[in-house]
Amino acid sequence: MHMPITRSVWVALVAALVGTVSLTGQQRTSRGITSQDLLDGLKDPSRWLMYSGDYTGQRHSPLTQLTPENVRRLIPQWIFQTDQPPGGRGLEGVPLVLDGVIYFTGNNNTAWALDARTGRPFWAYRRQFPSGRSTRAVNRGFGLLDDRLFLGTLDAHLMALDMKTGSVIWDVVLADHTKGYAFTSAPLVINNKVIVGPGTGERNRGFIAAYDAQTGKQVWRFWATPEPGEPGSETWPNAEAMAVGGGAAWVIGSYDRELNLIYWGTGNAVPVYDLDDEVRKGDNLHTASIVALDADTGKLRWYYQFTPHDTYDWDAAQVPVLADLVVDGQPRKVVMQANRNGFFYVLDRTNGKLLQAKPFVDSDWAREIGPNGQPIVLENGTAKCIPESHGATNFFPPSYDPTRGLFFVTAHETCMMYNPLKTGGADARLGNWTVGGIGYAALRALDPKTGTLRWEFRFPPGDLATKLRNAAGIGLSGGITSTASGLVFTGDNEGNFIAFDADTGKNLWHYQVGAPVWGSAPTTFMLDGRQHVLIAAGVSLIDFALPDTSRP
Amino acid sequence: MRINKLSRLTRTMPLNRWLVLIWVLAVVGSASMSGQNLPAPSPVSGPSTQATPVKNPRAGDPQAIRTGTALFRMRCASCHGRDATGAAAGSDLTALLASGVTDEDLFRVVRRGVSDTLLPHSFGPNEDVWAIVAYLRTLNTSRSDENPPGSAENGQRVFSASCGSCHRVDGRGGVLGPDLSQIGSQRSRAALAHKIRHASAYFVFGYEPVTLGTGAGQRVRGVKKNEDAFSIQIMRTDERLEGHVKANLRDVINDDTSVMPDFGREQISDRNLNDLLRYLTTLRGENRKPSLKED
Repeated sequence: MHMPITRSVWVALVAALVGTVSLTGQQRTSRGITSQDLLDGLKDPSRWLMYSGDYTGQRHSPLTQLTPENVRRLIPQWIFQTDQPPGGRGLEGVPLVLDGVIYFTGNNNTAWALDARTGRPFWAYRRQFPSGRSTRAVNRGFGLLDDRLFLGTLDAHLMALDMKTGSVIWDVVLADHTKGYAFTSAPLVINNKVIVGPGTGERNRGFIAAYDAQTGKQVWRFWATPEPGEPGSETWPNAEAMAVGGGAAWVIGSYDRELNLIYWGTGNAVPVYDLDDEVRKGDNLHTASIVALDADTGKLRWYYQFTPHDTYDWDAAQVPVLADLVVDGQPRKVVMQANRNGFFYVLDRTNGKLLQAKPFVDSDWAREIGPNGQPIVLENGTAKCIPESHGATNFFPPSYDPTRGLFFVTAHETCMMYNPLKTGGADARLGNWTVGGIGYAALRALDPKTGTLRWEFRFPPGDLATKLRNAAGIGLSGGITSTASGLVFTGDNEGNFIAFDADTGKNLWHYQVGAPVWGSAPTTFMLDGRQHVLIAAGVSLIDFALPDTSRP
Repeated sequence: MRINKLSRLTRTMPLNRWLVLIWVLAVVGSASMSGQNLPAPSPVSGPSTQATPVKNPRAGDPQAIRTGTALFRMRCASCHGRDATGAAAGSDLTALLASGVTDEDLFRVVRRGVSDTLLPHSFGPNEDVWAIVAYLRTLNTSRSDENPPGSAENGQRVFSASCGSCHRVDGRGGVLGPDLSQIGSQRSRAALAHKIRHASAYFVFGYEPVTLGTGAGQRVRGVKKNEDAFSIQIMRTDERLEGHVKANLRDVINDDTSVMPDFGREQISDRNLNDLLRYLTTLRGENRKPSLKED
């Protein structure tokens, strides 16, 4: 128990110290985070410095204190409840951790610095939305560098905040929020540049842009749809449609330091439901694609389009996962994505060449992906089972365990009948929800070398009300984090936060957090010798660890 | 005031538009003295602005002024001081009034509160709010510093030498103490002079000095950002944010002495203080960098 000896004794002591205080105040002992620290990723076990943990997008922690044997003893340490209403959606953020402080973003342009030991805030930040109502509510996290945090806002600003106080260092308008632009993604910070892509509200042209971390000045901007005359513009016979053609890059990308390339997924072409193909004929580059950009200049090095001329709302807005694999006997630098269109893709990340594509859900959309990388699409009208518009998976990040060679992904078996978009035809969105029932979700472990399923854990579909409430994703819409000790953490729509055995898919532990784990993803880190796991759900951020045995 | 601790924490409300700056001037006076915030009104509480008459219907009404005086002393004085010249929690309203704030602005601030500061929105009837505004208008706001003495230029040098390691102005300086970018519209010259010479006269919320005795027998000094029965969150004097579980601490001492030293005449001469005050009163948050435009 702490009790001051006597106040007067301390007053005297403190008075003696005063002379030195102004000196200590001048010492800045806290070292800022450097670009090298970011390259080091999860090397320091006390840190989680970016959305995906490191630049690979693997969301795979080297930590081993929590194991398949002891994880059943995991208990909550604290709960931080935000004072923001969920706005129809719960928190989707991934907290960052540095030096015992958690940096977390919430709904409606809010953010906090929290004491990782207790969940108690050091500071809170709230930005007033300028006018009208935002069409989005959520944010998925900060980027950080030096002494500052970077936040994309719902009114399409990019801001640098002081890590120690939450005060604004710089504030840049990146796009017009009244035209549908909004940032929900965490920024990716590379070599003193802050890289972000906005959502475009299904009515504008996407971009990926880099800003100088010190000054907030733009370094480069890549537009997802080309300018007239540029390569790719031939895939848009209608230049007017191209100018607002979509390709929103609203989920964070990944980075290969040796190739100095960033990999970023782009969203669907707009308008998504193109009746009679009358607005946007063509493949509509570079929508529904991965683009590989030079990190210094933003120049397009290569692209791969998953869904040419998408009419299903199949954004490729998923975190691209980088790994080194042996495919068909050849060592390859690959980028992987389980796409909303139902195929799991492995591309050569040096040149964008397709190495492999296998369906990871039931789908009649394409018979296969041809050797030229183009899908061999079944004719509209004959397809019985097409991944519905929220996709076979969605933005919630997958994870990859390089030691076990397993790719963990949230899969939705919720395909629908598809009505071709012809005049007089029914709206595609009104197609049957699923073929032969309500469908289900599953956590799946794929072997990326072969694209085959290693194991799955199925979630019940829930009742109709649940289905409607969680329209995007029956059962399971949580992001995934795996650990070197063989654990896979994710959460479901019913509020269960769950640990699985990475080798077998066996459920090892679960805890009911009281709100859907929807779109958020776990963060894990060491603090005071114990491994912690954080997950956001509903309006809360919850911290888990094994019981503290150091205390009596 | 041991109310919602979270709301005590300082938040910045970034403002990007010139229009809003006018708003800010209206709001600044009631902002938390925790410093660096440019607060904006709460978006939801209170009636819409369209429903608010621009003129105070009770302006100059002696009965309203009496009511307003009583209401002010009951509801406002604990933070803003009995004479409205500011206290630890609330800023100097006479400085705000002198800045040319309108009755409508005042009404709106009282009605809506200022988000992320201690100032709550008011549920009181409109006529009570107008009464408070009527009372505020009776306060003497003629400033002794309308033609202030001293050299702001030299004051800025004094600031850099003596204050800048702990206080920030327009993005430069330390963060151990409150941001002073708009201190000129929050505190009177006299109040600033007193605080500089007598640093421990009061502590601004979020900057209360604290000394922690760790289990390892070390002493950690800093300012308190947050505290509950079982834990405490501080900024150490080296500006590091640090959380502690009290069970692991030997002592938590709420110091009587600020981490800011008293600056007596030996440290800052009367003449230099005069110049420093001149400089500080020029700080009205007007140099905040506007948002960079879209490229």
